[in-house]
Amino acid sequence: MTLRLCAVLALSLLAGCASDPAPTAQLQLTEEALQQAHAVGADAEQEDLRVAEAGLAAAREAFAREEYREARMFAERAELDARLVEARILTAKSSAQIAELKSRIRQLRTELGGRP
Amino acid sequence: MRLAKIRVLLWLGLAALGGCAAHGDARQALEQARSDYEQLAADDAVLASAPKDVVRAGESLARAERLSSYWGSGEDVAHYAYLSQRYGAIAREHSRQVAQQRQLERLQQERDGLEQALREAKLLSVQQQSSWLEEQMDSLATMPTERGLVMTLGDVLFDTGRAELKSSANRIVLKLYQFLTLNPQRVVRIEGYTDSRGPAAENVELSRARAQTVADVLIDLGIEAKRIEVQGYGEAFPLAANASAQGRAQNRRVEIVFSDDQGQLSPPRE
Repeated sequence: MTLRLCAVLALSLLAGCASDPAPTAQLQLTEEALQQAHAVGADAEQEDLRVAEAGLAAAREAFAREEYREARMFAERAELDARLVEARILTAKSSAQIAELKSRIRQLRTELGGRP
Repeated sequence: MRLAKIRVLLWLGLAALGGCAAHGDARQALEQARSDYEQLAADDAVLASAPKDVVRAGESLARAERLSSYWGSGEDVAHYAYLSQRYGAIAREHSRQVAQQRQLERLQQERDGLEQALREAKLLSVQQQSSWLEEQMDSLATMPTERGLVMTLGDVLFDTGRAELKSSANRIVLKLYQFLTLNPQRVVRIEGYTDSRGPAAENVELSRARAQTVADVLIDLGIEAKRIEVQGYGEAFPLAANASAQGRAQNRRVEIVFSDDQGQLSPPRE
């Protein structure tokens, strides 16, 4: 009984190891997502960017230790963290554009209103 | 054997308890992700503008749900619940961006329309001002001759023998500048004349220098140099006899010859 249980446990552990290949492609995806966030102007001071970068660093460390499952999970989370940073920056940028346009329109209306 | 069996059962129970403790966090994360996703999927705007991200959020959530039925999968459940929520947040950002893009286009159209209206209003007022100025110039000092429209500036501009403008001349030159600004298609020839005192060659030089002074002020103010011709005629083409002081004063002058509104200037005098 105990022996059989041990065998099942050992098998499942083995299976767990075998199903996790080196997440090279995922690491690359995460790096690209971070580059993209930097490209749209992510600021190194930004908290959410730091979280994404810390995630990538943790993924690399786990990768170096050949803990591939952990590396993949860190990298997957960091990728989405970085994509969210990028998306938020783009939203903020178009918000700023909208504010600028609105103020230009107000100014034009004032100028036009001042004319006979 | 019996004792051993009980021991194993106890051990299993403890392990299951441990599993449950780890499961508590994961279950919370899963519930949070589930309610997030329900909200997301009910939002038609997000669904329409970021369908891919919504689908990914759903797939990650389904994975977390599936894993949650396995024993000892707490970490994976929390992981996929996190990914699902992240996809959801990204979908919301993308949806906001799409809405903002539409708003931007609307605002740009509005701005373009207003700018156009303002341009038209300005043009109208320039035209009104321009014709007013033309009337002013006509009534004040210009007269139509065979050389075109000519404005004669008497010796109010310069002191005898000098080529620098008197300060009282500034008002007249400014008016000229204004006229040229409002009539960008017109060009001018500035012609200098003297009386007959002094050597003829020096008079030509002096008359040219005076005309150039007027031109320089206009260029300084921003009129393009190519719109201004400069000519010095010296003592030629007198308006009156040089015998009297009054006649000589009349002959010391600068004349501005205006082109027509196509930029056609009459040829210089021979």
